[in-house]
Amino acid sequence: MHSAVQRANTAATIAAILLATICAAASFLDAFNSPSLQAHVQVVKINRFRRQLDGNDEVKMTLKMSMDLTSLFTWNTKQVFVFLAAEYETDTNSLNQVSLWDHIVQEKERASFQVKVPTKYPLIDQGTNLRGKKVGLVLHWHIMPISGRMIQGKMPLSNFSLPDSYTTRS
Amino acid sequence: MAGMKQKYRTDLSLSLAVSQKDRNCSTQSYLCRGDSHVFPSSPVLKARINEMDWQGQKHAEMLMQIFLVFSAVAAFGAGYLMRDFRLMMLIYAGGVVLTVLVTVPNWPYFNRHPLKWLDPSEAEKHPKPQVSNITSSSSSKKKASKNK
Repeated sequence: MHSAVQRANTAATIAAILLATICAAASFLDAFNSPSLQAHVQVVKINRFRRQLDGNDEVKMTLKMSMDLTSLFTWNTKQVFVFLAAEYETDTNSLNQVSLWDHIVQEKERASFQVKVPTKYPLIDQGTNLRGKKVGLVLHWHIMPISGRMIQGKMPLSNFSLPDSYTTRS
Repeated sequence: MAGMKQKYRTDLSLSLAVSQKDRNCSTQSYLCRGDSHVFPSSPVLKARINEMDWQGQKHAEMLMQIFLVFSAVAAFGAGYLMRDFRLMMLIYAGGVVLTVLVTVPNWPYFNRHPLKWLDPSEAEKHPKPQVSNITSSSSSKKKASKNK
């Protein structure tokens, strides 16, 4: 501590260590947040159910969703990425998960909403297994904090069954 | 043994004594106040000792740690209570800047117990020993230890 430069160096080092400490403390307190969110999804209409030219099944539908994600937000949350996955089982795969729709929520005030929207991404199968298939819809979320590790979670929602035959000519 | 100690102290003080020609009055430093004879003139020592005494350094270090820890705790508490991460960062940054302003520069408050260097008039009474004197004194030291 003999010169001003040495003192400045010491101050910068201690300040950096304390900054890491308070960010770690903020991230640690996130673990005590037990979220209780509500969500509801309903398939309004199957817009298109066909078999593509390369042999895979494809489904496009309109969904009506309402969800309340405000309990996921803490003071240490930067944004929440939420997506809806369709899950089903086939002969070759025990679990197929296909994302139909996703959204990024950056503010707690906008975390509760209802939408009626066509799916962002079509449900495309690896094969032709979707006729008459029972599909479950699961809501997944990734919470991205300002400081800390990403937190994941999911919640199963309603199921629905696809029609037994293609709705449009393939 | 006492004689050896005295000679070593003289060596140190002589290397610190100021020559009258070495004056730089373009700055507001001790060199222009007329009491430059009580401060070191060797450029290496001048670069290292910047007018904060030992008591002041200890005080400055203690203040720095206390200020920084306090601003970290206050920032975290305020951010947690107000549920605002940005507020925590702002308070902490303000605390760090305040700490640097108080602790890093050589404020006169940290120089209340300045070091007293040896007066050159006193130093001249003890001339610097020659190289041959050092070897003879070291050999005499060896003889003294052998005799014990």
